[in-house]
Amino acid sequence: MNRGPWPLLVGLLLGVVGGLTYAWAIDPVKFVGSSPAALPSDVQADYLTLIASAYAATGDLPRAQARLGLFPGPNAAETLGALAQARLASGRPPSEAHALALLAADLGVRPSPPPGLTPRAATGAPTASPTITRTPTTRPSPTVTLTPGAPFQVDRRELECDAALRVPRIRLLVLDAAGQGVPRIEVLVLWDNGQDHFYTGLKPELGSGYGDFTMSEGVTYTVRLAESGALVTGLETEPCLDDAGGVYPGSWWLVFVQPPPP
Amino acid sequence: MPHLLRTFRFWIGLILGLAAALLYGWVLQPVRVDTSLISLRQDYRTDYVLMVAEAYGGEGELSLAVQRLAALGPETPAQYVDAAIAYASDQAFAVDDLERLSRLARDLQSAPPTPAASSP
Repeated sequence: MNRGPWPLLVGLLLGVVGGLTYAWAIDPVKFVGSSPAALPSDVQADYLTLIASAYAATGDLPRAQARLGLFPGPNAAETLGALAQARLASGRPPSEAHALALLAADLGVRPSPPPGLTPRAATGAPTASPTITRTPTTRPSPTVTLTPGAPFQVDRRELECDAALRVPRIRLLVLDAAGQGVPRIEVLVLWDNGQDHFYTGLKPELGSGYGDFTMSEGVTYTVRLAESGALVTGLETEPCLDDAGGVYPGSWWLVFVQPPPP
Repeated sequence: MPHLLRTFRFWIGLILGLAAALLYGWVLQPVRVDTSLISLRQDYRTDYVLMVAEAYGGEGELSLAVQRLAALGPETPAQYVDAAIAYASDQAFAVDDLERLSRLARDLQSAPPTPAASSP
C-alpha cells in the first residue's frame, strides 16, 4: 500500500521538533563578546547603576558619558532619572538612587564630551580597552551636598489648573540665591500612612532644580526639603474646571528659594 | 519495496527537518540564553571591574564590590580583578586606573572570605 507523502512529512516533523529542541534547549548558541547594550534589561539597570556609582566616586563626567554611550537611547539623563525613581521605589539602597540622580542631574547641566572621548568599543571596532585615560578628579564622598548658603525657604505655593497635566502632581522648583535651579536636592513627601522621596534634576529638560511627585486624590501631603527643613503642609488635590465645565484634579506648584546672603 | 520506499522517505524528511531546524535555531533565530555579564567582551568586562574598583574607592564597601564582581560569573571576585589588571596593564590603562584595580585586588586578598551573592 502506498501511503503517499506521509512518511516524508512525519520524518520532517520529527526532524524539525528534534532540531529545534537541540538548538534552543540542549545546546543553544553561547554568546560571547557581547556589549553592554546586549544585556537583559535588569542587568542593564545594574550596569547603569554601577556607571553612576563609579561617577559618584570619581566625578569623571566624560568617562561616565562614554560608558553611557554604549547604550542606545535618546536621553541618558531621562533614563537615569527614571531608573533612580524605580530603584527608590523598589527599596534599593538610597546611595544607588543618589548616584543615579547625581549623574542624571550633571548630564542635564553640563555639555557633552568631545567626540574624541567616545570609547572605541562603542563604535563596534574589534579592539580594546576603553580609550579614556584621563585621570579622574577625586570627589570626596557621594553624599548629598547642598548649595552653600542660607536654608531654602518657601517662595511660592500655587494651585495649578492645567488640563494638560493629566494626573495631579506636586511640582516643585528649587532655586539658589542667584535664581539658578539646584539639582540633587532630596525632597521628602509624607502623608498619613506613608512617605516617599525624590531628587530634583531628574528631568533636566524641565530645569535642573525641577522635581515632581504624583498625587493620589483624597490624600493630604506634606513636602519637605530633606536637609534644609523648608516645609509645605496640607497639599491635596483641588478640583479645577476645564473649558467644557468638567472637573479634574489640579496640581500644586511649589518654589523653594535660597535667600540672598545679607 | 514499498516498505523500503517509505523508510527512505521518512529518513529524507527527518534529515531535512533536522537541518532546517538547526539552521533556524542556531543561525537565524538563536535563543539568547547567555546574555549576562559573563558574556561581556573582555574590554567591557575589564571596564566593568574598573567601575567596581572606582565605586569601591568612593563607597569603601568591600562586600558591595564583591557582590558586584560575583555577578560576572562563577569565578572568584579576585580572579576577575586579576584578569582585569592583566588586561589593563597590557592595554596601558592610566596609572590611576591600575592603582584602583590593585587596591581592590589587595583588599580582596586581605579580607576574610565571604559567601558571594548572586546578584549585583
